[in-house]
Amino acid sequence: MNAPPSDRQASSHPATPLHGYIAAALAVIAMTAISLLLVHAIALGNIALLYLVPVMFAAARYGLRAGLFAGLASSLAYNFFFLPPTGTLTVDNPANIISLLVLLGVAIVTSQFAASARAQAQRAQESARQNAMLAGFSRHLSAAAGQEELMQSVCTEIARLLDVRAILLTPSVEGPILRAAVPPEDRIDRIEAAAAQWAMDHLQPAGRGSITLTASDWLFHPLHTQRGVVAVVGMARDDGDLPIPTGHDALVTSLLDQAAVALDRMALEDQMLEARQVAERDRLRAALLSSVSHDLRTPLTSILTAAQALRQEQGSTLVDTIESEAQRLNRFVANLLDMARLEAGALPMRVEATDLLDAVSAAIADTRQALAGHMVTVDLSPDLPLVRVDPVLLHHCLINLLDNAGRYGAPGTTVIIRGRSEADAILLSVIDQGPGIPAGQEARLFETFTRLAGSDRAVHGTGLGLTIVKGFAEAMGLSVAASNVADPSGACFTIRIPDTVMIGNMTLKDLA
Amino acid sequence: MTGKHKVLIVDDEVHIRRLIDATLKRVGYTTVEASSGREALDRLRQERPDVTLLDLGLPDRDGLELVPLFKQQSDASLIVISARDATEQKVAALDLGADDYLTKPFDTDELLARLRVALRNRTTRDGGATAVTAGDVEIDLLNRIVRKGGREVHLTPKEYGVLAQLAKFPGRVITHGQIMAQVWPREVDHHVEYLRVLVRTLRQKLEDDPQQPQIIGNEPGIGYRLRSGIEG
Repeated sequence: MNAPPSDRQASSHPATPLHGYIAAALAVIAMTAISLLLVHAIALGNIALLYLVPVMFAAARYGLRAGLFAGLASSLAYNFFFLPPTGTLTVDNPANIISLLVLLGVAIVTSQFAASARAQAQRAQESARQNAMLAGFSRHLSAAAGQEELMQSVCTEIARLLDVRAILLTPSVEGPILRAAVPPEDRIDRIEAAAAQWAMDHLQPAGRGSITLTASDWLFHPLHTQRGVVAVVGMARDDGDLPIPTGHDALVTSLLDQAAVALDRMALEDQMLEARQVAERDRLRAALLSSVSHDLRTPLTSILTAAQALRQEQGSTLVDTIESEAQRLNRFVANLLDMARLEAGALPMRVEATDLLDAVSAAIADTRQALAGHMVTVDLSPDLPLVRVDPVLLHHCLINLLDNAGRYGAPGTTVIIRGRSEADAILLSVIDQGPGIPAGQEARLFETFTRLAGSDRAVHGTGLGLTIVKGFAEAMGLSVAASNVADPSGACFTIRIPDTVMIGNMTLKDLA
Repeated sequence: MTGKHKVLIVDDEVHIRRLIDATLKRVGYTTVEASSGREALDRLRQERPDVTLLDLGLPDRDGLELVPLFKQQSDASLIVISARDATEQKVAALDLGADDYLTKPFDTDELLARLRVALRNRTTRDGGATAVTAGDVEIDLLNRIVRKGGREVHLTPKEYGVLAQLAKFPGRVITHGQIMAQVWPREVDHHVEYLRVLVRTLRQKLEDDPQQPQIIGNEPGIGYRLRSGIEG
C-alpha cells in the first residue's frame, strides 16, 4: 500500500500483456495434442467441448482479449485437425459449422464473464487497499499529541500516500500562515498564498488541476467542518505533473476530510483545556477571596462582640470608639473584597426582577448606623417600573452612596433618596447637604483612591466606595454620575437605569 | 421567657464562642459549645438544645451539608452564621431548612433579636398560634382576616397568600422560592416580578408610608421578612 497507484487508467478492460497471448496459444496447442491422443476414443463433438478449457483459462487469467484470442485459435485448430476434411480449413458438413460457431460463441461469452469477475476482484482489492490507506492515515493522525504535531503528521502522510510535496496553512487575519510542510519549506509565494486564500474563502479547491488560479504550481484543498475552515492543504509534484492523479479525487477527499475532522477535534480539545484552566483559575480566586473574607471578618466579629459586651457592663465613649472603628474597618474590608472581585472580573451576577423601593428600604436598614445623625427622606415616584438588576450589587451601590452621604452631609441634615422616571431611563439619586463636589472633579470622583482636596480633611474614607458604585453599576449595564445641587446645596449622586433593563408594565390580572 | 432555653453554639473560633457564650448567659440562656461538625452533632443529640447557632465555615464539614442533618436529628431552631457574603449560600441554607441567617460581623442586639424570633416561632409551631401583629397590622391566620388600626383590609387571595407565608413565621426571613412555592404551587417557573408587584400592593394597603416600609422588610436577593415588633 505504500507505492502510489502506478496504473493511472483504472479501467475494467486493461490491455492484455504479450505473455497472456502466448499462454493462451500454448494452452490451445496443449489441448490440441491431448485431443489428437483421444480422437479415436471419444466423439468429435466432445472434442469441441474440451477446447472450452483453454478458452476459460485464458479469459479468467488474462482477460477478455486473451479469451477471444484463445477462442479463435481453438476454433481454427479444431477445424484444421479434427473437422473433415482434416488438414484444411474448410468444412464440408453444415452440422460441423454449427459446432464451430458454438465453440466461438461460448468462448466469447465465457471470456466476458471471466473478465468482469476479474475486474471486480481488482476493484475490491483496490478499495481494500484504499481503506487500509485511510485507516493507516487516521491512525497516524490520532497518534499526534499536539496541534503542531498533527499538522506535520497530515503533511507527512499526504506526501507519502500520494507521492507529492505537501504543505498545510491555517487561516488568519493577515492571510494564510504556513504551519507544516513535507519536505520542509520556509515560505510560500504570493500566488500560492492567493490560491490558498481563495480556497479558504470559497471552500473549493484552487490552483493547479482545479478550475481557478491554475497558474500556481500547487493545488490547494480547504479542510473544513461544520465549524468552518480549519486549514488548507497544498499539494504539488516535483515532475510538474497534476498533483492528484486522475481517478483519485474520492480518495483525496476522504483523506482531507479525515484530516479536517482530526484538526477540528484537536482545536476543540485545546479550547476545552483552556476553558478548564480558566474555570480552575476562577475557582481558586473565588476560594482565595472567600478565605480572605473569612480571615478578616472573624477577628472583626470578635472585636465587635467584645465591644458590645463591654458596653453592657461599663458604657464609655472608649467602647463606642472601638465599636464604630470596627464597623468602619468592616465596611473597608467589604469594599476591598468587592474591589478585588471587580478587578478580577469575578462578579457573580444574579440578575432578577427588583423593586427599587425594596432596594432602597434594605439599603436604609443596613446603613442605620452611618445615617444615625441624619434624617432620611425617600421620594420615589409610585409608578417606577421593576428593573432587572443584581439585587445584591445594587444593594452594595446604594449602601456606599448612603454611607458617603452620611459622611459628607453635615450632621442633622437630611439625606434624600429620589427616584424619577424619565423618557428612556430611571434616575435614582442620593442627595446630601454637604460641601458638594469641586467644579470639574465630578468624573474623577469615581476613580480608585480619589478623595478630593477640600472635601477630605474632616471626613475619613477609603476612596473605594464610589469606585465600587461605578464598577458594580456598569457591570449591571447602569451608569453613575455626580453633580452639585443648589437648594439645599450639596452633592447629588445619580444611578441611571436605562430602559433596556426595565420590565414593562405587567398585566396583573392573573396575579389576583 | 429566655430563662431555661438552651443554645448550642457551633463555631471553630474559640474567641467567638466565648463571647457569644458570655452574651447569651448574661441575658439568661443556658449554652453548650461545639467547635466542629462532628462535635456539634454529638452535642445536639446529648443536650437537646432549643436553638443552634451554626457557623458555616467549620474545619471538618461544609456547613451547608450539616443543615439538613441538624433538621433531621433535632427540632431545635437553626440559625446559620456565615462570614461569607455569598447570597446563594444563604438562600441554600434557608431552603434546606435553616430558620434564619446572620452575617459576620453581626450586632449583638441583632443576634438576640433573631434568637427570640427563632424561639417564638418554635413555640408557635408547637402551640399553633393563629394571630400575628406587626405594627398596627393584625393578621388572623385562622379566619384569614387582616386588620390595620382595627379596620379590616381587603386583600386579594394572592396578596393574602404572600402575607400569610410571612406571618406564619413572623420576624424570620422567608426566601422568594419558599413564598412562591406556596402561593403559586402549580407554576414551574416562578417569576419574582409577580412577587415584587404583590409585595408592592401589599405595602400600599398595609404600610403607613409605603416609601419607608416598616412591616414587610426586604433582604436583597434572599427574601422578605415580616417585621413583627421584635426588631431592635
